[in-house]
Amino acid sequence: MTAPSAPAIELRGVSRWYGNVVAVNDISFDVGPGITGLLGPNGAGKSTLLHMMAGFLRPSAGEVRILGEPAWQNPAIYRRIALVPEREAVYGFLTGRELVELAARLHGLPDPAAAAARAIDLVEMGPHAARQSGGYSKGMKQRIKIAAALVHDPQVLILDEPFNGADPRQRLHLMDLFRRMAAEGRTILYSSHILEEVERLADTVLVIVAGRLAASGDFRRIRALMTDRPHTFTVRSSDDRALAARLLAEPAIRGIAFEDGRLEVRSAELLAAARALPRAAREAGVTLFEVRPTDESLETVFSYLVHR
Amino acid sequence: MNPDIARLTVRQLLGQRRTVVVALLALVPVAIALLFRLAAPADADPERFTARGLLGGIVTTTILPLVTLVFATGAFGQDAEDGTLVYLLATPVPRRAIVLARLVVAWLAAAALLLPSAALAGALALQGGDPGIVVGFAVAVVAGAFVYTAAFTWLSIATSRALVAGLLYVFLWEGALSGLFGGIRFLSIRQYTAGIAGAFFDLPPGVYQPRLDPLPAVFLAAAVAAGMTILAVRQLRRWEIGESS
Repeated sequence: MTAPSAPAIELRGVSRWYGNVVAVNDISFDVGPGITGLLGPNGAGKSTLLHMMAGFLRPSAGEVRILGEPAWQNPAIYRRIALVPEREAVYGFLTGRELVELAARLHGLPDPAAAAARAIDLVEMGPHAARQSGGYSKGMKQRIKIAAALVHDPQVLILDEPFNGADPRQRLHLMDLFRRMAAEGRTILYSSHILEEVERLADTVLVIVAGRLAASGDFRRIRALMTDRPHTFTVRSSDDRALAARLLAEPAIRGIAFEDGRLEVRSAELLAAARALPRAAREAGVTLFEVRPTDESLETVFSYLVHR
Repeated sequence: MNPDIARLTVRQLLGQRRTVVVALLALVPVAIALLFRLAAPADADPERFTARGLLGGIVTTTILPLVTLVFATGAFGQDAEDGTLVYLLATPVPRRAIVLARLVVAWLAAAALLLPSAALAGALALQGGDPGIVVGFAVAVVAGAFVYTAAFTWLSIATSRALVAGLLYVFLWEGALSGLFGGIRFLSIRQYTAGIAGAFFDLPPGVYQPRLDPLPAVFLAAAVAAGMTILAVRQLRRWEIGESS
């Protein structure tokens, strides 16, 4: 059934709606081996998309295929894929080891105890494995869920906000683990609403905004698009009006406005504006007190990508 | 049936506070039987009380459906609600094996409470009457528990409000409406249970008269149990994770 050349994850015209609400709107992409970040603000449709890929939501339209097979109503795919859901809940009455061993037995592994021990070591949960998982911290629950997902050595790993609750050291450890898995030729797709998390790990990025695919491809190219968009700054200086007059002569500055007594500067390019502002201040004999970007929220960045 | 899921379900049910409440509920018929034995008027008919009021009454109409409702919804509803069901479903285990493991454990848990409760309460209240009444209701309660558990298991996969839907079925459909519409007896697990019990003793119609004869009761109970189990498996195959973001 599996076509050898099929992409690990394949979406064709996939939509999902809940009543009148469209959560995912006509999305198509392929994901191959390596690490792919699914980036988007909260409520963008990332979890809906991941759940469709993992076979836990039926697409309202379109098709989702994993390793060449349909994802929906196909339990056989779980031999080769794994999902780490965002929700914290685990069987709290089981110890970490019991939880991972249960996963190993449900996958029919020949030596569940050994497989569980290996997976627990991968996420460095060995010292805590004998404790009931209900008492774990958020980060520990996250790691034991990852261990349970890795126990059968999946080809494709789908993770929903995997770094939630992890402290910086655990985060680095998990990132190293995912990099090693990717180097072995596995496909790792994870969602995040934090740009830096994707920047540090993903080779490829899919940007989802309001249920639509806003951008996809090499992360550096998309990061450049995000950086080189028009920017607005609020500037505070010793003489805002003198500075404004001088800034008008700068080619990188597209507009000047006074909003509620504050100087707002619009620029076509981030780097050009960063050079122009101090130069203009120096030439006008003005001291800059504060330069603050006014539109740096992730939503604004994503919105730009959608409308560009 | 998957033994790992069965063991998990046992531990889940044992760890729930509602199991303690249900265990206490199962003591109610025994307490009522004791009261009857100690304080019944001299002209009271133990067979009539046992068959109609106790085993055919409170046990069959209230305790049996409530106990099975709590166990069946406890076996699936909690997992579906908190998302832990994903850990069972993200495996190649056939969905029918998951349903059967949970259904059988919930049924055995319910039977483990209901059977001693009905047998002890019946024996206490009957005071030497026809033992067929106790045997009949013991068999009927175990059989009825399976049908109820199958129906409520399907309900707990199909809806997040299984407890409310189950209570509506028990008290509105089987309780209030069955008195108004005779045809409801064909779609009433309570009536199947009463009909099965009736096969084991012979009391005058004024004392105990089930609305279904034993043979159709057994047939319908088996058909509904099988149908509900199949529906539960189909529902689990189509189960969707209950969140979006």
